[in-house]
Amino acid sequence: MIKDRSQAICRSRWFTPLICLGLGIVVFAVSWLGGQFRGGLISLAILAAFGLILLLLTGRSETIRGLTVGRDERFAQLDLRATALAGLVMLLFALVGWLVAVARGQNGHPYDWLLATGGLAYLLAFVFFRWRG
Amino acid sequence: MKNLVRALRTQRNMAQGQLAEAMGVSRQTINSIETGRYTPSLPLALALARYFGVTVEEMFDDQGS
Repeated sequence: MIKDRSQAICRSRWFTPLICLGLGIVVFAVSWLGGQFRGGLISLAILAAFGLILLLLTGRSETIRGLTVGRDERFAQLDLRATALAGLVMLLFALVGWLVAVARGQNGHPYDWLLATGGLAYLLAFVFFRWRG
Repeated sequence: MKNLVRALRTQRNMAQGQLAEAMGVSRQTINSIETGRYTPSLPLALALARYFGVTVEEMFDDQGS
């Protein structure tokens, strides 16, 4: 029942746009606390506009619908591949950043933490999914 | 993977959207299956075969892909 309700919420056309807006508000609040009111406001505007575009296009574009409310098995697979590729790109970026930092005589922060987190997350996820079968 | 989805669908004068609705997937997914760009999951392949009254082996050709 709880799973059905959470699935229904996730499948609502408002879910992703509201996540964008919520993220925008968090970014705005954090930026404001950090003394960057204008930057935070711009970030909020960008994320809110992105959410609005998603909301407007959900009814018109099958691709947008697949990314948001109408996720079938093919879109789920595309999402998985895109997530894996994005993760790989981020890890490669962190690796190159760490190598460059070390070559410049720096300690490699924060790339070393990013690499360690990424590597550990991969191993834990691998073991978890293997255990689940 | 080569398959008979398009042939069976057009035989029944169905649009891709109608078949997609019956299978609970998007029209793009049906199009991708028909053109061989996407290999459906076993549950979807079974559902398609059951829907058209054929076996999965008759519907999908893994030798000619």
